[in-house]
Amino acid sequence: MTDEPSGRNLDGDAPVAETVVETGEATITEDAELERTIGLTGGLAIGIGTMIGAGIFVFPGLAGGEIGTAATASFAVGGVIALLVALPTSELATAMPRSGGSYYFISWGLGTLAGTVIGLSLWLGLVFATAFYLVGLGYYALDALAQVGIAVGASSGAIVSAIAVVAGVAFTVLNVTGTENAAKLQNGIVALLLSMLVAFLGFGLLEAFGVVAVDTPPGQSESVWEAVPILSVAALVFTSYLGFAQVATVAGEMKDPGRNLPLAMVGSVLIVTVLYVLTIFIATNIFTRDALLTAGETAMVEVGQALLGPAGALVIIVGGLLATMSSANASILSTSRAIYGVSKDALLPRWASRINLRYGTPHVALGMAGGPVVVLAATGQVQLLAEVASFLHLIMYGLMWVALVAIRRDRPDWYDPDFVVPGGPVIPVVGALASFGLIAFMNRLSILVGIAVIAVTAGWYFYYARDVELKGAL
Amino acid sequence: MTRVLVPVAVLEGGSVSPGLMSLLGTVDVTVLGYHVLPEQTPPDQARLQFEERATSALEDLSQEFRTAGGAADHRLVFTHDREQTIDRVAGEVDADAFAVPGTTGDVDRILVSLSGDVDVDRIRSFVEALVGDRAIGVTLFLATGGQISDDAAGDADTIGTGDDGAPAAQLEATADRLREAGIDAETTVATEGSPFDSLIDAVPGHDAVVMGERAPSFRSFVFGDESERVAAASVGPVLVVRDRRDTDPDDAVERTGDPDDADGTAEGDDE
Repeated sequence: MTDEPSGRNLDGDAPVAETVVETGEATITEDAELERTIGLTGGLAIGIGTMIGAGIFVFPGLAGGEIGTAATASFAVGGVIALLVALPTSELATAMPRSGGSYYFISWGLGTLAGTVIGLSLWLGLVFATAFYLVGLGYYALDALAQVGIAVGASSGAIVSAIAVVAGVAFTVLNVTGTENAAKLQNGIVALLLSMLVAFLGFGLLEAFGVVAVDTPPGQSESVWEAVPILSVAALVFTSYLGFAQVATVAGEMKDPGRNLPLAMVGSVLIVTVLYVLTIFIATNIFTRDALLTAGETAMVEVGQALLGPAGALVIIVGGLLATMSSANASILSTSRAIYGVSKDALLPRWASRINLRYGTPHVALGMAGGPVVVLAATGQVQLLAEVASFLHLIMYGLMWVALVAIRRDRPDWYDPDFVVPGGPVIPVVGALASFGLIAFMNRLSILVGIAVIAVTAGWYFYYARDVELKGAL
Repeated sequence: MTRVLVPVAVLEGGSVSPGLMSLLGTVDVTVLGYHVLPEQTPPDQARLQFEERATSALEDLSQEFRTAGGAADHRLVFTHDREQTIDRVAGEVDADAFAVPGTTGDVDRILVSLSGDVDVDRIRSFVEALVGDRAIGVTLFLATGGQISDDAAGDADTIGTGDDGAPAAQLEATADRLREAGIDAETTVATEGSPFDSLIDAVPGHDAVVMGERAPSFRSFVFGDESERVAAASVGPVLVVRDRRDTDPDDAVERTGDPDDADGTAEGDDE
């Protein structure tokens, strides 16, 4: 707290800074209090609800199609890296339990340039992830249409894009105008999805170990148990683990954050990792590589069909629609919080965080989330969207480890985390290397797009906010 | 000193009627300005934009309360959950009651409901403090319809206190205590119909309702909080006296879970 943030951006706004008192129930500022209303269940629902849409319902076909059963190892690698990132996030978030999450930690620990790049990349990374979820939603909607007998011919790609765009616009409008609290609905959807998955996976496991038998289509292609393909698929499917970081964006609204935040982040990663690995195991047990590759994004529907007949296919389609919707919706919410964080620190114009008087919602930030999402969703490029989202997040995660080391080294007075990553500097170094290392296994085009986004955000810093000083500020 | 928490939706034109303000002139008041936000909006973001406006409105309100008599301060909370905020702040300022604001003119007579499992002693002492030495009449109200049929199944005979008799006797005893304190107290007992409907039927002729806080039940989950419904149906303000008997949650579970134990507790309160 000794270093106050200072400086002004191009519009002449300074970062908002003040002293606050955090309790387990509220944040107390000079004149007002901010109630903490999200409990452990809510935190887990945000994390799990964002994640399972991608990992269970979109990636099995793509990942299993690449390398067969070896994709279980890819998901396990992704889970370990996500878990590694959940550790410093928890330590930093319990020391500074404020909304904005990862962005705050990096701007405090590493200064304004890194803060601007990460703050804006978090926004854009979430935009890419949301677009990816929406395209996944489009594929499931297409399958649902096919089930009710509306066959779509050659132009299915265009239909998927169109559905994704319509859904993107609808979610944005709903979030701007909807004042009903959908949190309880989200919790219900997550509970429903989890129980559906447990039943489905349980039956699949029985089949895998020969307790019950279903007809599995024949195939010749073998799984690819080699390090490079496994890691390259891990880089692709890492998008399925982005949700836990969104838990950190609501840190300021979470009850008893010292306890609930680490539990929600680590817990949701553990739960989804187990679910992902089991799902891939079952999918690749029933179908061989080439069959999954042909089925593509909605291969899980075929798996459901093979396991439980038409009812199984229906369950997967409904589950896929719900899960991709909940992922997309939760991401749009986190995106607007990410924009608010940078706008409060004068890295974006102040009007970006204006609140709509009629609905009480941050319409500008939601628009800045929804607009680009719709444009990206129109491309329909599942792999590219997923990898760029992963790229931007992995840069952030790697820098989070660096920030953790930097803040620990400086040891400011206010730094007193409830949760401390054990093992001194070893785990941070391993974590940073793992995060940056995974990027190397991505598709070249995705890396180029990611680097271009980073370059643009850095350019924005030099244009707009180079005089703003945030390091060490609280 | 008795303290009442007055929650006001400060940015949505929420206000306190002059009648409620003068009724609360004998007690200390904490004005709780709250603003409920949809989950899309971080509370901090709303604070940056609305804090000044809300604070100046709250300062005006607490000034009016001070003019009306008692000491008054204010708190401002941005929240996603109104009930949670009211509960928390009521606990923190150690409020004896909280208000559900409604419209009323000058208060001449208040209706005090003693129906159900409420802390009668607390309600009585709160009413004494509220009325003070003013010429405000009190009608004590008890609904026994629906209650008897529930409790009659229990072993009331073996305990020896007629379940239907005890609350009525307590009602009269409470009225006597109020009269001793110089308050014009009457009693009304409704033996038929649901407790809620008969309370609403008794409202005409009264300017405000005082009732006890009840534990959340299935009914309140479905229809909304009882005090809110009374306020909506009666139009006037409702003062809810907070129940402090069961600060220990295990105790509360026992009380509602076991009819025998409930009788034992009620007898203990009579002492």
